[in-house]
Amino acid sequence: MIELDQKIAEQLSEVGLNSSIQVRCGTSNSFTVTASVIHPLINVFDMGGVYISASRGANEIIEGLESVGIATGNIQFLDMVSSGILGGTNTEHTNISYIDSPIMLESALLRTMYQMRRSVNERNFVILDSVNALAIYNEERMLAEYLHTFVNTFRQREVLSVIINVPDQTPPGVLANLDLYCTELIDRGQIVIN
Amino acid sequence: MESTAGYVRDRCVTGIHGLDEILRGGIPYGSTVLASGSCGCGKTTLGLEFLVRGAENGEACAHFTATEPSVKLLDNVRQYDFFDMNMVDKGLINVFDMDVLYSWLGLTKATFDLGDIHALINAITDIVNTIGVTRLVIDSVTTLCYKIQSEQLIRDFLFTLGKKLSTLGCTTLLISEITSEKAGVNMWSSFGVEEAISDGIIVLGDVERMGHLLRFLQVVKMRGTSHSRAKYAVELTSIGVMLTPMLKWGSSG
Repeated sequence: MIELDQKIAEQLSEVGLNSSIQVRCGTSNSFTVTASVIHPLINVFDMGGVYISASRGANEIIEGLESVGIATGNIQFLDMVSSGILGGTNTEHTNISYIDSPIMLESALLRTMYQMRRSVNERNFVILDSVNALAIYNEERMLAEYLHTFVNTFRQREVLSVIINVPDQTPPGVLANLDLYCTELIDRGQIVIN
Repeated sequence: MESTAGYVRDRCVTGIHGLDEILRGGIPYGSTVLASGSCGCGKTTLGLEFLVRGAENGEACAHFTATEPSVKLLDNVRQYDFFDMNMVDKGLINVFDMDVLYSWLGLTKATFDLGDIHALINAITDIVNTIGVTRLVIDSVTTLCYKIQSEQLIRDFLFTLGKKLSTLGCTTLLISEITSEKAGVNMWSSFGVEEAISDGIIVLGDVERMGHLLRFLQVVKMRGTSHSRAKYAVELTSIGVMLTPMLKWGSSG
């Protein structure tokens, strides 16, 4: 079983709901970092929210999170990956909805707002996993524009936004904009080898 | 002389998520608005939600359906959480089959002449007046206009209908079917005359992005209000139509 990063929980305890957090991770620690972010949000701060999965199918993410003791019943998943895979949308999970393609950025935004309008949670988060996965399909200027809209939309609505990113796989222009828009940074982009 | 700079026309607040912001408060009361679009882009849903939001405020609403039987229309709309069948039972939403209306008026011919058109206008306005309808949808005006042979008669029909409905204080959405080709060349109606007669034009269509179709909505014209003319991405959800500005770098396909 993986060991969660407790320092992330400490850092999250100091941010407000209208914060936008850029979470930088590496290619090998992305799941550990993501789980370390979600664990306190669900288990400590009693939040619910939306998880936009563009890096992997939502089924796989749900199984991963539950294996480390994170209940996913209070998270709605927007899966941007599985519709592109034949049979990818066959699932028993009722908290997954599918978006046809990672290029349908506006759909992801509207579906998130739809889930927020239906949400009964007092405090909500939205996790975008990940900018580098979206960068595979979307042109740099459009992705930068989207992130600008994304951050401002949820800050205005007092929804905590968490943007996961592998910096060395993200276009420099997008990365620079993320630094500008986000209010907080959790940097686990470099793995320290003791 | 009194300044009219601050005058604002009363609005019919559509209640559709984002649309009233685009229209800076709603559709000016009594307007006849063309809602044009290619197939599958959400025209019927937009029209139905417009009526439902009115019914929620206790307004009497009417829907004239020419493209599908009312039973089928109501069956399809039940999937939406925003629709409540009680609104029909209580008489807040009144659905009429155009075919039934034609046969009631004895309009059995394949095409309509001037007399037929006036009989139809009178029937519609009588219904609006009797029930006290403040929101009306005709879906679609294109299907109806196919029965009218000349552009001049179509113009007369829409102009007279719009004028009478406006006098009755009824805000009307005329659903218009256009092909996706027309939607790309600034043509907002099938016959070309509907757009000139209408007070407003709301266009619904698709933008193709890397092989995927994204629905959009754009208010091209709306008399009596300033409004955004940008493209908005549309999502048809169980709680209604949702809109967000379309990404500028991705709005031209």
